[in-house]
Amino acid sequence: MQYSFASLCGAGLTFRIDGFRLTFAVITTYMWLMTTLFSQEYLAHAGKKRRYYFFLALTYIATMGVFLSNDFFTTFVFFEVMSLASYVCVIHDEKPATMRAGGVYLAVAVIGGLVTLMGLFLLADAAGTLSFDGLYDACRGLAADPAGRQRLLIAGACILFGFGAKAGMFPLHIWLPMAHPVAPAPASALLSGIITKTGIFGILVVTAQVLSHDPLWGFIVMLLGTVTMLLGGLLALFSVDIKRTLACSSMSQLGMIINGIGMQALLGEENALAVRGSVLHMVNHSNLKLVLFMAAGVIVMNLHKLDLNEIRGYGRKKPLLMAVFLSGALGIGGVPMFNGYVSKTLLHEGIVEYIELLHAGEGWSLPFLSVSGATVLFSVIEWLFLLTGGMTVAYMTKLFICVFVEKNIDPAVQAAYDEKKPYVSRLTAWVLGISAAVLPVLGLFPGLTLDRIADASQGFLRGEPPAHAVHYFSQTNLQGGLISILIGVLLYFLFVRILLMDKEGHYLNRWPAPLDLLTLIYEPLLLRFLPMLFGFFCKILDRLPDLIFRVLPKVAGVCCRVLDFSLDALILVFRKTTHRQLPDPGPSPTGYFFAFYVGGFLNAVARVLNRTILKKHPIVRNHVYSLAEREAMLSQTSRLVSASTAFSLMMFGIGLMAVTLYLIL
Amino acid sequence: MSVLTLCPMALCLLAGILVGVSGGRWESSVHKITAGALIANLLLTVLICLQPSENLSLTLFHITTELPIAFAVDTVGKLFSLLIAFVWLMVAVAAFEYMPHEGAEPRFFGFYLAVAGILSALCYSGNMVTYYLFFEMMSLISMPLVLHSLSHEAIMAALKYLFYSMAGAFMMLFGLFLFAARGSDLAFVPGGCLQGMTGDMTAQVALFLMIVGFGTKAGMFPMHGWLPTAHPVAPAPASAVLSGVITKAGVLGIIRVVYYMAGVDALAGTWVQKAWAWLTLVTVFMGSMMAYQENVLKKRMAYSTVSQVSYVLFGLSVMHPVAFTGALLHVVFHSLVKDTLFLSAGAIILKTGRTKVSELAGICRQMPVVMWCFTLVSITLIGIPPTSAFLSKWYLAMGSLAGGLPVLSWLGPVVLLISALLTAGYLLTISIKGFFPEKGEAVDLTPCEPGWHFLVPMVVMTVLAVGLGIWAGPLISVIRQAAAVLF
Repeated sequence: MQYSFASLCGAGLTFRIDGFRLTFAVITTYMWLMTTLFSQEYLAHAGKKRRYYFFLALTYIATMGVFLSNDFFTTFVFFEVMSLASYVCVIHDEKPATMRAGGVYLAVAVIGGLVTLMGLFLLADAAGTLSFDGLYDACRGLAADPAGRQRLLIAGACILFGFGAKAGMFPLHIWLPMAHPVAPAPASALLSGIITKTGIFGILVVTAQVLSHDPLWGFIVMLLGTVTMLLGGLLALFSVDIKRTLACSSMSQLGMIINGIGMQALLGEENALAVRGSVLHMVNHSNLKLVLFMAAGVIVMNLHKLDLNEIRGYGRKKPLLMAVFLSGALGIGGVPMFNGYVSKTLLHEGIVEYIELLHAGEGWSLPFLSVSGATVLFSVIEWLFLLTGGMTVAYMTKLFICVFVEKNIDPAVQAAYDEKKPYVSRLTAWVLGISAAVLPVLGLFPGLTLDRIADASQGFLRGEPPAHAVHYFSQTNLQGGLISILIGVLLYFLFVRILLMDKEGHYLNRWPAPLDLLTLIYEPLLLRFLPMLFGFFCKILDRLPDLIFRVLPKVAGVCCRVLDFSLDALILVFRKTTHRQLPDPGPSPTGYFFAFYVGGFLNAVARVLNRTILKKHPIVRNHVYSLAEREAMLSQTSRLVSASTAFSLMMFGIGLMAVTLYLIL
Repeated sequence: MSVLTLCPMALCLLAGILVGVSGGRWESSVHKITAGALIANLLLTVLICLQPSENLSLTLFHITTELPIAFAVDTVGKLFSLLIAFVWLMVAVAAFEYMPHEGAEPRFFGFYLAVAGILSALCYSGNMVTYYLFFEMMSLISMPLVLHSLSHEAIMAALKYLFYSMAGAFMMLFGLFLFAARGSDLAFVPGGCLQGMTGDMTAQVALFLMIVGFGTKAGMFPMHGWLPTAHPVAPAPASAVLSGVITKAGVLGIIRVVYYMAGVDALAGTWVQKAWAWLTLVTVFMGSMMAYQENVLKKRMAYSTVSQVSYVLFGLSVMHPVAFTGALLHVVFHSLVKDTLFLSAGAIILKTGRTKVSELAGICRQMPVVMWCFTLVSITLIGIPPTSAFLSKWYLAMGSLAGGLPVLSWLGPVVLLISALLTAGYLLTISIKGFFPEKGEAVDLTPCEPGWHFLVPMVVMTVLAVGLGIWAGPLISVIRQAAAVLF
């Protein structure tokens, strides 16, 4: 069935219901029903219920929109609405730690959304359509030539970024272990159970429609999935917070699904097992996390504590809670007869099948590794997959033993825990019971339930029908499951009990605190370094025109002044050089050397005296003049004298000559 | 019928003069006259928009024999005029509550009305000379809106606004001279009149100068400096229209120059297009980054405007019908969003006196309706679907990729998305802090919602900003129709 609303949102919204979509629409509705019912009691004493239910409903509509969408545009529209609406549910209690976790969730969602949007731009530009109906054929045509395939790979990588972030894929998983523990338990169940699956949905569509059977794409996705499942398992093993453990477990299970999606692309035509495995693990994980988070929610709702050392022993003498939690734990641990076993077996078989293909010399076309190298690599990945399964068993055992088997270290607390009083309402008990009962039903009758879901879903994912029906309870398949369980038991006793607990039996968080991508890399990079760097350049750019406009008039002013003055300056230069006028004689000491200097000196002395001791009767006489007068008189007199002496001498000389002449004559 | 084209302008100018010269005499009726005139303006504009365009051209008089003051109405002009008349009325309603607190209302509303009239004439201008005439008048008459408070900063800011406007206008005028020297009569012809003149350096320089000149009003780097200075000091309604509407007059100018005078064929692929596109991308990024680091709320909005209007300019610079559609959509959406944002800032200033972002913890509990509008339009501006700006960004990015400019075709969308991320950083953080103040922080939680004068326009514009994203069909088809004649 197909619906389209061409007039909405510009490009138009299209929806379609087929097997796969129907499955997830049903699961979404079922999970919302259960969690909403559970919320009644969980949030009985919390404030702002109207806000919570409003945004819960909005998230539901958006999630349905994502699963029912029939083109990437519609998917994206609802995906973004879902991110924002679920944010409000996550931060319901508004505590500082919650706000921080919510901030990280929102930041990852917004950044992821934008990168995905870029991918969709590129994809729409390359393929010319975003419709799931037309995308496959358009992309087949493009993938034929290397340039087109490169464009598709870039677009796919961008799309993977945002959807992978939602699916908790490494290295964008940071929000997942933070947001789940702080959100209200029903919201955690939804976040983990179904909202992360919308991310998986996007990756599935890219893998099936855009880059179907592309080995490079499959290899990258497979590697990212492997890292995610290992890291998630490891984080869960170290965690001492019940909801955080479950959150990291989600990350690990999602890693397995992503790994399976990668295998789909790698396996090419033979991908039936991987397709069915990833779809069924999505279905199973949704159901499992619904049960587990609600069980954890019951504990939180009663105790308002999450730390394993504090809630230890709470579950003793509470058979309903124990049964519910146990079925979830067995299911997620991949124990046969429970649902997780089925999908994990399929995923494992997918890897095994690929290794067989490699042994046969087929299926490997990537240039950077030889076929034998690839065989080794995938054998390692198979064992890592089993190890992750083992880790799942180990951390679920840790939770179960802690809450339901061991006694609290403080006997008084244990006594309080053991008191017989109702810890859940009747409604909640029914909700828990029904959700938990679904798990073994799915696990015991896979042929009737899970296989049919897989049959209905594989068409959308372009999975080939399997060559033969899988016998889940055959010896080889049971063997794989048992290996995982064995690893899990060993891990629990050798690792958890020895390394992660101290002598008194306290659970310790030995995960080194600095080893956190968020505080180690993302926050310094995105909040400090990049804004500082670009902020600096932008500030320069911002101020530069202003500065230029401020300096420009000054520079222009100087230039204009120079121009303005230039003619005057020219005239001045001529006057000083070629057209120089006769020198101005000015005052000069000609004639009266003595009077000028001595008088000047006396004047100076007189000035000093006038300022100091002769204030009342200052000397007003100018000594230069008076001295000059005297000097002039003196010189005049001396001139007169010298003149008269000379005259006398001349007269004497004349007389002497006359006398001499007379004597001679 | 063609006289109808001039009616909105004449009406608003007369009302403006009436209000302005009345001084304090009819203080009580200032609001009534303003409201009446703006409602009549909106109705007249709707009436004009419903008329077929051919009936609405007229030539008023000739400056010289070759330079007529002429009016002609087309789809783009109708779209702009309708948007402007609507937003102008909405902001005026909020101003009725805001302005008593600033005083000197007759002066403010007088100039406010006059600018509305000029803008109407601007939208209907039929040639570049007319456009230039009204553009200059708009710069001059809108300046008193900036210096309204008459404080030293306000006057200096107004002078800066004037200086930038003049610098831009003269660049434009110079380009106009060069262009006219090519023998063009400066009339607006859809598709332009420069076909076959590719490689003509004079015309290209002229066009580049005109683009940068009009870019001044649109806040395009390097002429964006007036925006962050003028906005914080202007009264909130003035900032709202400066940012939301008057910047769009620059955009309209660029549309007229590029698509109606030069034509896509003459510019596509030239250095003018590339340089212009680069300038817009620099502006987009720089504006967002500066907004992200700015603490004064209205200044943050101003930088945001710098960034967002350049989204529009980027779309125009791509010269592709899809990007053109995105650009015009973004004109509409950004007007609605930015006016709502500035009105929220005005409500906050009016009711609490807070101007800094760091003081806004808990504000959403004090004025929930205002801040819900703020949050929704913020989400719109970031471009989160299904709100409207998502749509415009979708068209912008698809157009950019389809336009096929080397490097810019993919760099454009990348920059737009990085800027969207920064937009989330500088807007959503306000809402988050406002709705969920950290425990232990000293927060004032007394309710202080403003009156209906503020709330009604804000809610109306928010509903439009969000709703137009979902039911954008008619708007898109109108814009497609406008784009069809240009490419």
